[in-house]
Order: sequence, then C-alpha cells, then structure tokens
Amino acid sequence: MRRIATLLALLFGMALAQEVHLMWSGAITGPTSDAGKYYAQGIEDYCKYANQEGLTGGLRIVCETRDDQYNNANTQRNFEQALERGDPAFLGYSTGGTLQLKPLIQEVGMTFIPASYHIGNIDPPNSDYLFLPIASYSEQVIALLEYIAKQEPGAKVALAVHPSPFGRAPVPDAKKAAAQLGIQIVEVQEMTKGLDYTATLKRFANEGVEYIVYQNVAGPVATMVKDAKRLGLTIKHAGAHYAGGPDLLRLAGDAAEGFIWVTSYYMPDEDVPAAAFVRKLGKRFKRPADTLESVHYPSGMLAAAIAIEAIKRAHAAGKPVTGDPGRAAVYQQMLGLDFDPGLAVGPVTYSKEDHVGVDKLRVLQARGGRFVPITKPFQSKLFRKVHYGK
Amino acid sequence: MRNPWAETGNYKTSYRQDSTIFATYLEELSLVGLLALLVGLPFFLSRPQMFVVDLILIYALAVLGLNIITGYAGLINIGQAAFVGVGAYTAALLAPGLPFWLTIPLGGLAAAAAGAIVGIPSLRIKHLYLAIATLAFQVIFEWIVGHAPLLKQGGAIPMPRVVFLGYRVGYKNHYYFWYFVALALLVLLAFAFRNLLRTRFGRALVAVRDNDRAADAMGMHPGLTKIFAFALGAFYAGVAGGLYAYFSRAVVIEDYMLPVSIKFLAMAIVGGLGSLPGSFLGPAFLVLLDLNMEDFANWLKSLGLSYAGVDIASAMRPLTFGLVIVLFLVFEPRGLANWWRLVRNYFKNWPFRY
Repeated sequence: MRRIATLLALLFGMALAQEVHLMWSGAITGPTSDAGKYYAQGIEDYCKYANQEGLTGGLRIVCETRDDQYNNANTQRNFEQALERGDPAFLGYSTGGTLQLKPLIQEVGMTFIPASYHIGNIDPPNSDYLFLPIASYSEQVIALLEYIAKQEPGAKVALAVHPSPFGRAPVPDAKKAAAQLGIQIVEVQEMTKGLDYTATLKRFANEGVEYIVYQNVAGPVATMVKDAKRLGLTIKHAGAHYAGGPDLLRLAGDAAEGFIWVTSYYMPDEDVPAAAFVRKLGKRFKRPADTLESVHYPSGMLAAAIAIEAIKRAHAAGKPVTGDPGRAAVYQQMLGLDFDPGLAVGPVTYSKEDHVGVDKLRVLQARGGRFVPITKPFQSKLFRKVHYGK
Repeated sequence: MRNPWAETGNYKTSYRQDSTIFATYLEELSLVGLLALLVGLPFFLSRPQMFVVDLILIYALAVLGLNIITGYAGLINIGQAAFVGVGAYTAALLAPGLPFWLTIPLGGLAAAAAGAIVGIPSLRIKHLYLAIATLAFQVIFEWIVGHAPLLKQGGAIPMPRVVFLGYRVGYKNHYYFWYFVALALLVLLAFAFRNLLRTRFGRALVAVRDNDRAADAMGMHPGLTKIFAFALGAFYAGVAGGLYAYFSRAVVIEDYMLPVSIKFLAMAIVGGLGSLPGSFLGPAFLVLLDLNMEDFANWLKSLGLSYAGVDIASAMRPLTFGLVIVLFLVFEPRGLANWWRLVRNYFKNWPFRY
C-alpha cells in the first residue's frame, strides 16, 4: 500500500513538475557523426538519469537531441526553435555552426555550450554567452607541446591540422608557445581525408621531425599513423582531444601504439568513480559496447550536466527558468558555476572572465590497445600567456 | 472568338503573341494572387517557420542561376555553391561600409566575374570534362578561402546589423525582413529569367545547348554564349550568396562547400532542369522533405526501432534524399515542373478532358 502511495506521489509530482526543454543540435548522421551520435546519447542518458535521480531541483528537464547532419542551416533552425519555445540554454556541436550563431547568441543572450572546443567560440566579439565544457583545442595543443618539451628539450615538431577553422585555430598560439618552450615547429601541414601520407611523412623524416602533433579528427590521423608504421619511421605521434582516443585505436589498430593524447575525460576502462558512473549509466540505458567505449559519450554527459546544474540553480534561486527571464537567470548562474559532476579530471568552474569549464587536462598514451594516463591532471602554464598575454 | 480569361484555342497569329508571358487574364490574376499570398505569408508564420521559407527563397535564387547554366545552356556545373560563396564573401567584406542594397548586387557582380572566368574552359571542353573544370573551381574556392587571412580562413565573418529607412533589424524581425528582401529579389530575377528566353541571348543559350555547331552556323557565338551563361548564372548565385550572408548573420565556409553544390544540383533535377517553376519547386520540395523526414525519424526513434546498434531512424534522412533523386532521375526526369505542367493543363481545359 505504501509502495503504491509512493508511486502515486512520484507520478503526481512528475505531473506537477515544471517542464524545461533543453535542445542539442549536432551531427548524428553526416560528417563527424562518429563522434556526434555518442555525444547525443550521453546527453540523452544524463538527462534521463538526472530526472530519475531528482538532480533537477524539482524540474523535469526534457532533453531533445536533433540531428543537424553537420549542416549550419539546420543548426540555426534548431536554435531558432529552441529560442521560440523559451529554452533557457542550448547545447551546440560543430565549430562552423557555433561561429555562425555567435551574433544571434549574443543578441538573444542564450547560454550556449558547444561540443567544439575552438578558442574562437569564447574569444570576442559576441562571446559573452558561450561556454566551453573543457579546455580549448589551443590549450590542448600547447599542453602537448609543454609535455614534449619536458620529454625532449629542443624537439623538432610538425603540426598536422585539419584544413578548417577547427584545425587551424591552435596554430598561432602553438607557434608562440613553441618559441618559449625552445622547441622547433618545422612545418604546419594541413591534412584531410588522404589515402596515403608517404610523401608527407618522408618529408617530415628528412626534416628531422621527432613529433607530429595533430589537431584533427581520428580518421586522417589513423591513416598517417599507419603509414608511419609501414614506413618504419620512429617519429612519435601526439594529438588533441578529437585526434585520439578509443576512435583512433579502433581505426589504427596496433599502429596507434605509443600515441600520445591529451584530454580532460577519463577512459571508460579506468578504475575511477567517473568511469564507473559512465559505465553504470550506459548499462542502465542499454547502450551497446561501442557507446561505452567512446570518449564522446561522457563528453555529452558533461555538457548536459553543466546546463542542468545552471538551470537547477536558477530555479533554486527563485528565478524563472524559461523564456527571456529564464535565459538571463541561467546565464547569471553560469557565470558563478563551480561544481564537480565527476565526469572529467577536474571541476567545472566558470566566471565572467573564464568561460572554460574543466581547466585541467591529462596526457595519456596508447599502451597495449588502450590509453593509459602518463601525467596527473594539470593546467597548461603557457596557454594564457600566449593567447591572452597574461 | 478569343476568350481573354481562358485559353479556348490557339489564336496566336504573330511571333510576338507567341512569346507573350501571360496568355490570359486568368494567368495574370493567378500571379497577382500568388504574390498577394506570398506578401501575406509572414503574418501567419512563426519565426522558425519563416526561417525555412527564407531558406527556400534563397535556395531558389541559386537554383535559378544553376538552371541558366545547366538547364538552359546545358553546361554541367558542380561549383554553384562556390559562386554563392563568392557573393557571400563579397557582401561580408563590403558590409561594414556599404548598405545591403549595394552589397548584395555587388556580390552578384563579383560572382558574375568569377563565372565568366570559370566559363573560359567551356570554350574548349564540354560534358564531363567541363563538370570537372567547375569542380576544380569549387576546390580552388575552398582552398583560397581556407588560406586567406582576409576571409578569416573560413572562420566566421559576422555581418553587421541592418538598419533600413530607420527600421532596425533585430532577431525578432530578422527573418521577416529578409523574407521581403529575398522575395523582392526573387520576383525581379524570376521575371528576368522568364524574359531571358524571349531575347536573342536566351534563345542562343538553348541553341548552343542543343547543338553548338548548328548555332555557330546560324551566326551565334557558342563560346561567348557559354561564358554569358556562366556569368549570368553565377550572378544569380552571387545575389543568393549576399542574401544568405545577411540571413545567416555570419559567413562561414561550410555553407559554400561541395556538398551544397551537389544539393543545388539535386534541387534543380528534382524541380526540373531548365524550368522556372522547377527552380522554386525543387528547393521547396527538398527542404520540406528533409523537415518531414526529420519528424518521421524522430517518431521512429521514439519507438526504439534499432537493430544491433544500427540507428534506422537517423539513417532515414540521408537515405530518403538519395532515393528521391534516383527515383526522379528514373521515373520523372523532367522533375516536379512536369507535374505542375500537367496540373495546369488539366485545369486549363476543365471541365473538358481535351
């Protein structure tokens, strides 16, 4: 009888709970959907979990993942629909889609959390309402250079970047950081879906390159890593968040052995509470093994957790959480957000000046078919100096 | 006796009458009615719905241009998105100093200049080889934008806010304002398109498409005609690009890349190559199909229909896009414009069958 009463009370409570919509627009199909589909699942599952476990402060958060097929026009349409509906925040995805929306985001004052860690998202102009979940690609690449400088002072490095704003953004900062670290960037090579990188790799070898640092997606990186192995080169490979991880292991196989990777997320097979939590959620919502192995699954969870926390706090402060005042209230909460959802290697902290959530990163290395951490969580020492001049 | 309200027979006795745009008063009235409907449309639609309508109008402009190059002149063009991009980037660079009513046509002119240059290979090559030449232009455009600091290397160039006759365009009226601008430009350029075939330049396009040696023998200049086709088609694309730049608030390279060119070609084929109504029907059909498939995919997803990790719902949209193009190519190569023609003919004779 008591069980029935509890169930009824719960159902009644759910019926009474205020609904707040939270939309994500990203690539479930099309380019980069190998990351986007897991990111979407992470958002969906964390949202369900937060509602079920009462982590929403009495609100019912309705998360909606929309497939924009990596098409900016679709992203814009989805954003407009969220705006029209009165959503207080928006979860974005691609670099291009986010950059294009910046003027509108600024105009309407909507908190926007993209999956793209492009520094241009949070650089002025029109960047007040954009918040990166973890450190930017630029900071990731500089963190890698700092690690390389420690391992091999004066190392010769080649940057292999995606031919897009996503790939190119870290290059100027990386050059400045390399100069201060005493390492030499001998070449910046733009690379897309090549079938064979023999010529590029031979050129790198002739130039004495010791490390290739990738700011790219895993596909082209896997091809280059495999080619380097085939050619018997001793060049070491290192990459930023989207260049490595379990995706790279799947694509490159044993050629990825020794690959150095930087990210703010834990690996799914690590013996830490964050990884156990991700596995627990994946099993609870019956996700297949490939979802559980993907680093994009917890990435999506983190983005959802940040937005939900800000909405919850705005509600707890007695503010409205929908429409124009809802957007303003959630934004105010974002500016002072300081919490640890336990999904990354550090807490999420934002302020008016700092729009990067998790500032800490770890360097990992592929060993025996899995990525293992080879540093403690740390923050890049040089990034702020070279990018902001402070 | 000729009935001015209905086409009860062929009473045309001169070439001038034969090339008239409106055969009856009813046709004129229908157009006025359609325009009145289009002008009144924003009063019934929400902002996200207006976004979709604006997008269709802008795509229609680009597809009109493609129809001049590929539909009328028979020159395969896989670089239409790059022409749109030339217009967009020109408008973005000029926008800080010039009003939109100058930057958009200037974008069109810059694209026309690019079109004239891209058209030069058509003097010597055609068919598949020309298609590859236009593809090369698309690739060169992407490379130049990606390496030009002036163009932010493909990153976003934000467009300034527009103030027109004291009317400030903000996010609440953004899509309504640009709807009327796009509609005005589309009507103007559609009339120009419709009139093109009534001029010797337009007839030369068709003649060169059908047989360039015969056209040459009749005194036309096939080379100049082809370059004219490229320049004019690119002008339309450039105007569409200028509009798209303001509409999307920032110019980003991804909106002008190869997949978008393919999408324009698909719209032209589905609508009906070389047809004015097809240039509107193709974009409208594919944009609305995608929206409806999105809803259908979401509904499928809510049913949890997936097998062994294969997300059937998500696959529906790209699958349908490809399937529609194949089905049209096989079963209705004249596109939706032919269905439109059949419907019109039916009502022309209604209630009689013949």
